[in-house]
Amino acid sequence: MEGNVAAGLAIGLGAIGPGIGLGIAVSKAMEALGRNPDASGQIFVPYILGIALTEAIGIYALVIGLLLIFIG
Amino acid sequence: MPEEEGGGSLIHVSIKAEPLFSIGPFEFTNSMVGALLASIVLLVAAWYFTRRGSLVPSRVQSLIEMPIEWMAGILAGSTSRWRGYAALIMSFFLMILVANWIGLLPGVGTIGLLHEEHGETVLVPLIRPASADLNYTLGLAMVAFVVFVWWGVRINGVGGYLKELVGEPRYMAPLMFPIHLISELSRLISLSMRLFGNVFAGEVLLATMLALTFVVVPAVFLGLELVFGFVQALVFSLLAMTYITLAIAEHHGGGHGHEGEEKESPKVQQHQTDAAPTNA
Repeated sequence: MEGNVAAGLAIGLGAIGPGIGLGIAVSKAMEALGRNPDASGQIFVPYILGIALTEAIGIYALVIGLLLIFIG
Repeated sequence: MPEEEGGGSLIHVSIKAEPLFSIGPFEFTNSMVGALLASIVLLVAAWYFTRRGSLVPSRVQSLIEMPIEWMAGILAGSTSRWRGYAALIMSFFLMILVANWIGLLPGVGTIGLLHEEHGETVLVPLIRPASADLNYTLGLAMVAFVVFVWWGVRINGVGGYLKELVGEPRYMAPLMFPIHLISELSRLISLSMRLFGNVFAGEVLLATMLALTFVVVPAVFLGLELVFGFVQALVFSLLAMTYITLAIAEHHGGGHGHEGEEKESPKVQQHQTDAAPTNA
């Protein structure tokens, strides 16, 4: 039972940071697109990579949550 | 460990792939069925489309070629040696894409065998999407790891590669060497965990939505998972490509500080702008 509460807290708190980070990343990318729509090809790959790296933090929280439920 | 409390729960979640049968010490799990299925789909598609390919593409052929050309455009923008690793990155992309999308087919995860486990009957699905098994994603990440370390060693030599790990001010080596080593190894973990976490979480999300709500709501999430499956395949292959690019690009910067790298970057951007019109 404590494991489930801890897992909920882990993913809930762990999602705050990546959420903010993704918001910043997407807003900046949209801003860049708005300024220069022709640059979409150049923006896309670094954008996807940046999003993936930001999201990885959330995935770590998910993994910790899964560990707490299934193993801890 | 049984996850659901008592009977009645429709959501069955298992973090590891369940074994279907075993040949000696070797257990054949349901995620292997998913991986085999993805391989077969890719092999048949490759055989079918290369046999019928023509120089002037038909409508179907150009539909198949479009994503591959797009991917090749991105690859060609990375380094001048892109032909050396293009096949690997493309294989990563196609394999993960097909494996992810197989997990969304109806029947995957719902058709299975009933097993007695800790006194209660549990449905063991016949097919599990391969990327929802950490063994599979870790295997892919290890392939990528070996390849980008190999490229680093091939371009810089063993000494050069170790020199990159030691870092620039030589007296900081005792501090920096473990950090660089861990950051190399963490790529392995983050590559595999990202793919596994996303696909597994997607499966759990779909199962939860199917159990809680009616027909229309799960369909929305199914569409979402379709996009996520594509994005994760793209992310894995692009990250593998970036790691290889970094391993190769270190050579140009090596010995001359950062001047070489800065000289390199406009050329890379030039490649990308060349590739961009063909993507659009």
